[in-house]
Amino acid sequence: MNVKQLFERVPSDREAEERAWMVVRAAYAERERVRVPVARRRRLLLAGAGVALAAAVAAASFSSPGRAVVNAVRRTIGISNAAPALFKLPAPGRLLVSGSGGTWVVAPDGSKRRLGDYTQAAWSPHGLYVIGATTDGLAAVEPSHGTVHWSLARPDVLDPRWGGSRTDTHVAYLSKGRLRIVAGDGTGDAGISARSRVAPAWRPGNVRQLAFVGGDGRVRLLGAWRSAHRYADPRLLVWSRDGSQLLLVTARELVLFSARSGHAQTLHLRGVSAAAFSAQGQLAVVQRHAILVLNGEQTRPVFTTRVALRGLVWSPNGRWLLTSLPAADQWVFVGRRSVLAVSHIARQFGGAVSLDGWVPGA
Amino acid sequence: METAALLRPEVDRREAALVRDAQRGSARALEQLFRLHWPRAYRAALVVVNDSAAAEDIAQESFLAAVRALDRFDRRRPFGPWLHRIVVNRSIDWSRARTLRRELGGESFPEPAAPEHESGGRAEELATALADLGSEHRAVIVLRYLLDYTPGEIAALLDLPRGTVNSRLRRGLDRLEEALR
Repeated sequence: MNVKQLFERVPSDREAEERAWMVVRAAYAERERVRVPVARRRRLLLAGAGVALAAAVAAASFSSPGRAVVNAVRRTIGISNAAPALFKLPAPGRLLVSGSGGTWVVAPDGSKRRLGDYTQAAWSPHGLYVIGATTDGLAAVEPSHGTVHWSLARPDVLDPRWGGSRTDTHVAYLSKGRLRIVAGDGTGDAGISARSRVAPAWRPGNVRQLAFVGGDGRVRLLGAWRSAHRYADPRLLVWSRDGSQLLLVTARELVLFSARSGHAQTLHLRGVSAAAFSAQGQLAVVQRHAILVLNGEQTRPVFTTRVALRGLVWSPNGRWLLTSLPAADQWVFVGRRSVLAVSHIARQFGGAVSLDGWVPGA
Repeated sequence: METAALLRPEVDRREAALVRDAQRGSARALEQLFRLHWPRAYRAALVVVNDSAAAEDIAQESFLAAVRALDRFDRRRPFGPWLHRIVVNRSIDWSRARTLRRELGGESFPEPAAPEHESGGRAEELATALADLGSEHRAVIVLRYLLDYTPGEIAALLDLPRGTVNSRLRRGLDRLEEALR
């Protein structure tokens, strides 16, 4: 057998070909769609948004958290009758927060453990570890006692995100604005020659795919696709829990991408600063002073107030939403029939903190 | 090889027509281009990177790049070499990145990264034979023996001196001959 015959026997992969063709066909269709006149395109986007966003929440069973509360718009800053301290979480799971007061893990019984002087943090995919960031580096930390497993000194570190399966994990982060990836055991740190304008986001599940918004404003899913459109003022990327859909939040719109094809559907909604998918697939967003739950193209306010809200996380069981009112130094838990508020957040956590994630486990 | 060279102008004309139709919005023409080039693009990537998932990604991304650049593509130029250049260069980049990004687990760390090897049969055999060569050498071998380019064409595709291409081919062939004995 000569060399050429040997090469000819390298197998092709019919299934891979079909998968690739679906993606390429979708990209081509998107290219054709983008080429239609702008006015018509806007109509198409609006028409399509309902379909895609309906799909995003089709499985949702979350019944209007705090529907009654919508009518109880507060006339004062903050929520009255707030608890003076966080005595317990209203749902099982562990809450990760971080900010000027460092990184903390809150247990269901309200007990708090400070993990270190990290200004940003994120859970590992299964909540076994925490990746913390300072401006000078990263550290992988044991959440139960703060033991540092490994650390990595890098300049101007931001937005660490830990993704992967139980046997293959990676941490993506920004250093001087450029994306870098280090293996879950702290080895093999390397740049990937790309800038990201928002925190990168690992696709959930066993695939190793990282989404980010490049310097040109295009959304990229490494190893899969890149959006045809450039997005102005991107703010965040959020994956659905099953990894089938990727949400881009910009200053003016929500864009929902199919993970498989990269096909995008747009809902025009200004002023969204936070978004989260529940484990059940329900999408909620913070728009200025309100939390909205999305149902197709419909947005339903489930909580409103007079001051700006910041951050949003779902409880692991999907029954509570947590946001914060920095102006009132409060957290607000929005449930199906009640709202629970907690005051004196800065005092309890040594400063302002952001909501980094709420994962299962005691 | 000579037959392939004789047939190339005809293939190029057919491709040019398909590119033109795809530029005008024909999804069918695009599919014909895709079906025409996918097998060799995928196999070329597979031999260079020795990882079936990565090969699929690389070939797919290369086609996506082609779709994105379709409007700007000069139909007077052949489509195949342009696509193959993307495939091979991305394969080389991926191999370099993998070298940098070691994926090893730690015994005391339950959520480590794990080594990743997904390939089978003939591709693995080939890759084993070529293992001591760098990805740049493998790329030259692939372009010559899988994609049928001449050394001069390879030099043009990869922006390499002709002598470098020849030396890489010679070294790669020696390695393969040793393995195939």
